[in-house]
Amino acid sequence: MKKLLTKILLGVTVIASYACTKIDNYDGPNASFEGNIISTQGGNLLTSQGSTQIRLEQISWSANPSPQEIPSKFDGTFKDTKLFKGNYRIIPKGGAFWPLRDTVVMEIGKDTRRDFEVTPYLLIKNFTATVNGTTLTLKYNLEAPISVGMPSILETQPYVNTTKLVGAGASIRDFSDVYKKAINKPWASMTAADKAISIDIPGMLPGRTFYVRVGVSLNDSFKSSNFSEIIEVNIPAAK
Amino acid sequence: MKKINKLILMVMITATAVISSCQKLDMPPTNIFTPDIIFGSEAGVKSFLATIYRALPIEDFKYRPDQGFKVGANDWENFYNSASVTGEQVGPFGGMDIGGGFGYWPYKDIRNVNTLIEELPKYANKLGEAKVKSLLGEAHFLRAYFYFGLAKRYGGVPILTEVQDPGAPLESLQVHRDKEEATWDFIGAELDLGYQMMDETNETGRANKYVAAALKSRAMLYAGSIAKYGSVNFVDGLARAQGIVGIPADKANQYFTKAFDAAKLLDGHYSLYDKNSDKVQNYIDLFLKGDSPENIFIKQYSIVSGSAHSWDATMSPRYMTANALSRSYPTLDFVQRWGALSVTNTDGTPKRFNNRAELMEGLEPRLLATVYFPGATLRGLTFDMQRGIYPSFSGTAAAEVAKQPNTRSYILAGDTKTLYQGKMVIGFTGPWTGGDELTRTGFYVRKYVDAAKPIATVDLNRSEQPWIDLRYAEVLLNKAEAAMELGNASDALTAINLIRVRAGATVYNNIDIDKIRNERGMELAFENHYYWDLKRWRNADLVLNNTRFKGLMPYYVFSENKYIFLAEPELMQRNYNFDKRFYYEPIPGGELGKNPNLYPNNPNY
Repeated sequence: MKKLLTKILLGVTVIASYACTKIDNYDGPNASFEGNIISTQGGNLLTSQGSTQIRLEQISWSANPSPQEIPSKFDGTFKDTKLFKGNYRIIPKGGAFWPLRDTVVMEIGKDTRRDFEVTPYLLIKNFTATVNGTTLTLKYNLEAPISVGMPSILETQPYVNTTKLVGAGASIRDFSDVYKKAINKPWASMTAADKAISIDIPGMLPGRTFYVRVGVSLNDSFKSSNFSEIIEVNIPAAK
Repeated sequence: MKKINKLILMVMITATAVISSCQKLDMPPTNIFTPDIIFGSEAGVKSFLATIYRALPIEDFKYRPDQGFKVGANDWENFYNSASVTGEQVGPFGGMDIGGGFGYWPYKDIRNVNTLIEELPKYANKLGEAKVKSLLGEAHFLRAYFYFGLAKRYGGVPILTEVQDPGAPLESLQVHRDKEEATWDFIGAELDLGYQMMDETNETGRANKYVAAALKSRAMLYAGSIAKYGSVNFVDGLARAQGIVGIPADKANQYFTKAFDAAKLLDGHYSLYDKNSDKVQNYIDLFLKGDSPENIFIKQYSIVSGSAHSWDATMSPRYMTANALSRSYPTLDFVQRWGALSVTNTDGTPKRFNNRAELMEGLEPRLLATVYFPGATLRGLTFDMQRGIYPSFSGTAAAEVAKQPNTRSYILAGDTKTLYQGKMVIGFTGPWTGGDELTRTGFYVRKYVDAAKPIATVDLNRSEQPWIDLRYAEVLLNKAEAAMELGNASDALTAINLIRVRAGATVYNNIDIDKIRNERGMELAFENHYYWDLKRWRNADLVLNNTRFKGLMPYYVFSENKYIFLAEPELMQRNYNFDKRFYYEPIPGGELGKNPNLYPNNPNY
């Protein structure tokens, strides 16, 4: 009787251990996708938090997959190393650039790279930041690579922060949003004076380093903004 | 002998088994209600209707725009209202937290209505033709109400008018979304049926034909605004290209006309509540008195049945209640819909007041009945709002507010026990940032608050005043707005002035759309309208553009023995930003998973 029981137990163990050998028939998320969002006007498209994303839809998984998004970094690059291998429908979206109509369909596997080229709505040129006492003066010009059919221009504002991570949602309100300038005009009716912008920010803290950039928002589907590069400014210490 | 006995026994058992199997099992189940029990009597239909009414998407006291419609016994957090993301109030939401909705998808309830519409005609012999007709009208109204709740959130949705058979092939159950225009047209047509088929009156809490007309004026106004303003300010996407969201602009006037005509149907059947010559008390009573001729459609609550709400306990400070928590407060920006408060002199210095209540002098009665000001009284206690004490004060209000907090010469305190030279530094009713139950703006909500209740009874889940879902003032505002959109200024002016006279305001001599919208904001404040208004006017992204709101902080100036009021950022320091995609909510993910034909999702989701 004991022998029989041992035999049965042994049998069960053998059968059970078979279950352990089965491996998941899907690969883990070991594919990666990275690249640049290149501006047709030179360099990468400068972005900020919550603006440009790369939208991915894994069509090898289902016909109507729920979309996933890779947010762009501030320098216009993007990277996601935890994707599932497969066939994806891809399009950059959300930024202040002329919308791309055609999605890219491609295989994403190990170390897949792909750059996307977009035309920004607006360029911020000749951006300078000068300090006079504790007042920071920002000057810049707006230019439009393509002006016909552009969404209207809403407002422009500085972004000031104490770290290099500066942009929408990453700025000190009292130095940033408070100095917002409303424009609310279509590009065609903006005068040369409207396009040459100067903003004074008084009361900056002496002896501190700030990182500054400016943005201009447009009334497109995303209320997106074009951004300038980031400038480091040092406010001289009080005498 | 034994053998025979056994044999007999066996035969008997077999016979018993065989004979009893002849008993037919085809009998009506006794443990569930069959259609003839429910639809064969008025009481049965009524109980079925109660289930449907209970599920109606009425945005009442207990509605939480981030969680949904609440019908439980302890859904007391009534300060989570849509007013507190739109700048009417500031409150517990950290910002524009309700834009994505809560995944409303009431097709279970719509199925109930469809069942009702399918079954009722079969029981005309039992219920009577006339009764069936009016009940069917009611069902069409209810169906429209559910679709209105869907259309204003998602745009176009699948229009289901039949009871789906769960056994049908999957493809036939996975229905497509209809166009937004078709959805609104369906709502309009259903409400027309409701108006034609229902009687003039019904039980309190149930719909009559005018309820259908009133809802139609609201729904068609929404559709008209979406057609007009949604074609200018929109988010691009596949759903829009296919017409699943968005209505062609040239349809706007057609909808505005329908809204106007529907509102006119109520002329002479309802009127504004105007029974008390004291204009403030009159406006308060209109929300609390059951005999108001202004009430068109109300939702009732009861402590006994465990459905009471908590408005009284959650809108006033604990000082004036038994055991309460308030958490959302009217903003100064809202109060100044009535015009700027006179708190500064022409030279910019703050006006000095002998007591706080002087602030209320000369203000419109409706405003005083909507908001509790510093110096007002509730249940025998005074709203003694005081943010702090200035030992002395000089200079302008603007310069003082612009200072960094640590350079201001005021004295603040963390509790009411702290005294400055024998004077309380903060009031029993705030403003203070330390606890949850004190105002952060200097104001409290007064609308719907029942001052007659003794303090000891003002507790959570102990308020029974009905929610007025449709009242005549709204119908007049719908009518005025629709008229104005159609270029008919004279009808608009008449309707607005009716409301203004009742409110104790000065009448207008001329009218424009901004005045009408502002009137709507004043009259329907805190009634969960403004959020949808901002959405249908497509200006939510402009009004809530990283916007912060202000409060009015009362201070005591010790050296002068006077009070001053400073307009300062509200103390919750909320930031509100409306993403343009929020003009439509996303189709709930779970539904998209079940039915891929619901794609494309709304733009930018």
